[in-house]
Amino acid sequence: MNYYKQVLTVTLWEYRRFFKLKNELLSIAIMLLIFTASYFAGKFSAAGFSEKPILTVLKDLNPELTTMLSEAYTIQEILPGEKEQYLKKMAQTKEGFLLEHSTEGFTLQAFKKSGKLQAMRKTLNDYHQVQVMQKIGLSSENLNFVLSPATLEEHYLYETGTKGRTILAYFFAGLMILAVFLSFAYQFTAITGEKQLKITEQIVSAIKPQVWMDGKILGITLTGLSSMLTYSIISILGGILFFQFTGASITNILQFLHLPSILLFLAFTLMGILLWNAFLAAIASMITDPNNSGKSSVMLLPVLFVVASFSVIRDPDNGMSVFLSWFPLTSATAMPMRWVTTEVEWWQLFGSYAGLIITFYLLRKLAAKIFHVSILMSGKEPSLREVIKLVKAE
Amino acid sequence: MARTKILQVSSLRKSFKKIQAVKDISFSLEQGDIFAFIGPNGAGKTTSMRILLDIIKADSGTITWNINGKECRLPPSSDIGYLPEERGLYADLPIIRSLVYLASIRGMNPSKANMAAMEWLERLELADRANEKLQTLSKGNQQKIQFVASILHKPTFAILDEPFSGLDPQNQEKFIEYIKELNEKGTTILLSSHQMPLVEKIAHKVFLMNSGEALFNGTLTDIYKNFGQQHIIDISFTNDIPHEKLHLLKYAENIAGIGENLVKVTFHPIAELKQILGNLAKIEGIANIKSHNSSLHDIFLKIVKEH
Repeated sequence: MNYYKQVLTVTLWEYRRFFKLKNELLSIAIMLLIFTASYFAGKFSAAGFSEKPILTVLKDLNPELTTMLSEAYTIQEILPGEKEQYLKKMAQTKEGFLLEHSTEGFTLQAFKKSGKLQAMRKTLNDYHQVQVMQKIGLSSENLNFVLSPATLEEHYLYETGTKGRTILAYFFAGLMILAVFLSFAYQFTAITGEKQLKITEQIVSAIKPQVWMDGKILGITLTGLSSMLTYSIISILGGILFFQFTGASITNILQFLHLPSILLFLAFTLMGILLWNAFLAAIASMITDPNNSGKSSVMLLPVLFVVASFSVIRDPDNGMSVFLSWFPLTSATAMPMRWVTTEVEWWQLFGSYAGLIITFYLLRKLAAKIFHVSILMSGKEPSLREVIKLVKAE
Repeated sequence: MARTKILQVSSLRKSFKKIQAVKDISFSLEQGDIFAFIGPNGAGKTTSMRILLDIIKADSGTITWNINGKECRLPPSSDIGYLPEERGLYADLPIIRSLVYLASIRGMNPSKANMAAMEWLERLELADRANEKLQTLSKGNQQKIQFVASILHKPTFAILDEPFSGLDPQNQEKFIEYIKELNEKGTTILLSSHQMPLVEKIAHKVFLMNSGEALFNGTLTDIYKNFGQQHIIDISFTNDIPHEKLHLLKYAENIAGIGENLVKVTFHPIAELKQILGNLAKIEGIANIKSHNSSLHDIFLKIVKEH
């Protein structure tokens, strides 16, 4: 039985062991249910907000201002003598806004600060501006002329990618985090769990540690990719539902479907997941008991690196961003992000990708060596120093 | 007609830090042998088996396999079956799936593996539980599944590390039957065991180890001939055992109580049976006397004690 056939057998075994179509379909159904429920809940609460809040004013308020305020509020007028009674009621019911106008300006009384008053502040400012303009004899045309911005013609050598492509980059980075998180859990079951169940000795008497390790890495990567596919389907279905509900044009989704970008992101994401799986497999091989091992926290490193690469979006051309786009532990997300936000030469894309491939190749070799030297250490967990010493001795 | 040497091991050594686990051992197996590693805990049996399978590397020495006329450093996994001392299978997966997978990675066609697994499960009266999780089985039945997993692909050579450990007497007998049958169908067996009466029933050759060293390597007949010349007499008394009188018996090397009012006395080979019986006749209260040769267990204890 040759290497490839054995790797395929292990890969399919791991994939079938962890990927459960029934569970994935169930999670799609649950997510769609949650999405629909949140949409309608949001719509319902938005409907509640769309009702105009009540603003109480004294009857002597300028009618022009009352008209302006009535655009955003339902105006309730009271007599000056009713003010004290209104304020007492406000203290009890904990709601209501009372606006007064005097020669010094406006006075607002409310139980507590509220976001509902923003429109009122804007209306009062507009009203105040009109009053001041009338006082100094300035027409509104003249005021607009004074406040008009400077004319600036902008020319750029590099046109940035569309917002849709940036969102696509975030989407793939998010999927990668998801896949790596899932791998984190699966690697523990697949490698540390097997060590705990004492299956490994029987397995490696049949196949080489490298075959076993490659099968694990590929099988779990395939599981992660399947989950990515599931969540992509959820996102697309969610998007279609969104457009159905909102009545927005479904063609809006097309701005995200830029094929070259999708292919580039897919290639980098796939290699990134493979690389991180090889890394996680190497760490999991050293762990005897995940509940009591200090090395378990190292398994969270991938997420830190992926999140760090998000900073590239802010300034894709500074030294740190360039470094992150070449450094193999961050390049899978950082390079595609640079590609959508600044000018990146093709040789840079290929160079960074080659770095990813080489690092993955070496990491999977290292993972198999670590596994081989630590396979029979079921008692005390080997320290990192011991593992390095043993790997060197190999 | 001379049988083919299927495995030849020469001057094997292995150390872990300062401990010499295997010290310059050599042995060989011929096709069709049932070869037993015997020795106390820490003798180096498991380490030697792991070296044969390339799970750990030897510091020095040579291992030559000759499977189906082809010499090699390590045979294809399809030719080897291995039952490790540390047992373990996928507890949370259906039994049949685990069996088919383990046979598949040893090169067996999955559908053939499925058929062979079902045949074994029927034989073990577990066919109706093929799709249940392994963890639902009793410990004894899990042991049986583990054994099946190691030989399902019909290997040319099977390495069974402590195959009888943890089994009740009834299952031990069944395992002896399975191993004999496997051997009769052409599989050469290398096993290790602490249970000497079981080894006596099954092995053609024994290799006695202690602290990594080879103490004996030969057939069962040879070991009895070389080390089994002592006279062993089981004596039962009507009342209490008169220990002080027994200790005064000439050539008595060892006296061990083996039951209520029952004692086993081992005499030096130099002693003559007639003389022993004459001396025993002088002790009162003897209800019964039974003379027999040294068992493998007795020989094992003697050799290890003298080492």
